[in-house]
Amino acid sequence: MNTAQNTPKSAKARCSVESEAARGDVVLDVRRVSLTLGAKRVLDHVCFRLVDRVREDAVTGQIACVLGPSGAGKTRLLRILAGLDAPDSGEVLGPGGKPVLERKVGMVFQDYPLLRHRTVKENLTLAGRIAGLDARARNERADELLAMVRLESKADRYPAQLSGGERQRVAIAQQVVAPRRLLLLDEPFSGLDPAALVDVRELVTRVAHQHQLNTVVIVTHDVRAAVAISDTILLLGKGPNGARVVDTYDLVDMGIAWKGGEGRACEALARVLERRFRDVS
Amino acid sequence: MSLVRPFRARGSLRGAAVLGAGWLAAALAAWALSPFRSLPTLGEIASAFGRLWSEGGLGAELFTTTRLIAVSLALTVGISLALAYASVVPALRPLAHGVAKLRFLGLTGLVFPFTLATGGGFRLKVALLTFGMTTFLVTAVARIVDEVPRAEIDQMRVLGASDARVAWEVIVRGTLDRTLDAVRQNLAMGWSMITMVEGISRSDGGIGALILNQNKHFHLAEVYAVLGAVLVVGLLLDHAMGVVTLVLCPHTRAAMDDADATPEIDSGRAEAESVVDAPESAS
Repeated sequence: MNTAQNTPKSAKARCSVESEAARGDVVLDVRRVSLTLGAKRVLDHVCFRLVDRVREDAVTGQIACVLGPSGAGKTRLLRILAGLDAPDSGEVLGPGGKPVLERKVGMVFQDYPLLRHRTVKENLTLAGRIAGLDARARNERADELLAMVRLESKADRYPAQLSGGERQRVAIAQQVVAPRRLLLLDEPFSGLDPAALVDVRELVTRVAHQHQLNTVVIVTHDVRAAVAISDTILLLGKGPNGARVVDTYDLVDMGIAWKGGEGRACEALARVLERRFRDVS
Repeated sequence: MSLVRPFRARGSLRGAAVLGAGWLAAALAAWALSPFRSLPTLGEIASAFGRLWSEGGLGAELFTTTRLIAVSLALTVGISLALAYASVVPALRPLAHGVAKLRFLGLTGLVFPFTLATGGGFRLKVALLTFGMTTFLVTAVARIVDEVPRAEIDQMRVLGASDARVAWEVIVRGTLDRTLDAVRQNLAMGWSMITMVEGISRSDGGIGALILNQNKHFHLAEVYAVLGAVLVVGLLLDHAMGVVTLVLCPHTRAAMDDADATPEIDSGRAEAESVVDAPESAS
């Protein structure tokens, strides 16, 4: 991987409709989203697009990582994408240019909250009930997901009895009980031990690639994990008028997507990102 | 000697019972050996208790008081939870916080208006006790509701839950163990207010009236016997509340079991020290 290939798109190209649309259908279109909290401008015309990735030999969803320094407004951006907060201006559109609706987007919060009075399985079946599944269907779905996150033996445990990595996996499973095309993860790799980190990375990848239109947006500080699992990396930088996307890295164009972060090219990109991360902090 | 070192695991239930029994024996010994002659002896208290039970109607008075506290507690819980849970609606929040502030009023000045409103007797005592406990329970439960992490509510919202389901799962069910704990504390407070409330209208009886009557005649052994009965019944009610919490909130038991299973903090350090202290040839 040479330096030229690691160069991010210019700000003009990032917001260009034509340059992105040519690659595939748009699955997430964030248009000039701004947010002010009190007297502080948090987000300043944040603008990016994610497109449907296509591979001939495999069902491929999309994974985009948003990197940025602490306090840059990454979580605020996720909350806007989830429909939990409204931006001051701008809009978030899903496939077909339709607005992304609140309660139609999955989001796993940083501390992976689960209902502590319900067992692991009950947390999953409750999500099924809310989604309108009948008792049998939600039971089967819960069992299926417990197998996917390898927690069948802990189905009857309470969240307080799980490790951080296990709670994280249950929280992700809970969000995909009902089909969600857009799943948002807030710092899913923080505070996990190396083994749990690998588990969660694998789980995120598996969830993303279960359906062609599945899109996972991850906010993280972990540059290496971002390079390992993403097809798009967005770098959010602080500016005088709030944070905005300063770099966009298309790992498919670079030829290093879906390779698990292995190889010299990935290593080179990680180094570039780490340097840019420091620059924008 | 982990028993005298701070921050160590609590140990087994049996060990805790032995410790408790030891401290109780020490307290009774201190009482028996006390140089203060004004204190009745344990024997005098025991015989006073027997007299009150067989001839003084202590059992009936206890029943009267327990009934009073049960009715008052039921009303308190109903009113307080309704007010505290309603505080999630911004327009109703001032109501709960306003009622909570009334805890600084005290009951003494309220006897007259409450007597006019209720006509006195049992209803007056219920009203006073309910008022006294409600102001404190609303304070405690409103704080519990305030402290529910925003992420728990948002997590349910992104699952697609309606506001009613969010309120039920996160606010009502999710805080039930802490709410029951607050009710438990409130029960203890109500129990401690009982002598004052029952003293206001002695004609209905109750252990509060019994204590005041015995106190008036300086029957200290009888007073302490009644106090002993108050303490025992209070502890039994407290224990019953604890059992109710464990039955309704089994996750609290699971968390406690896990805490008990946590190994001693110094076990790893002892192992490390043994490695460090071992002669070089051993490594």
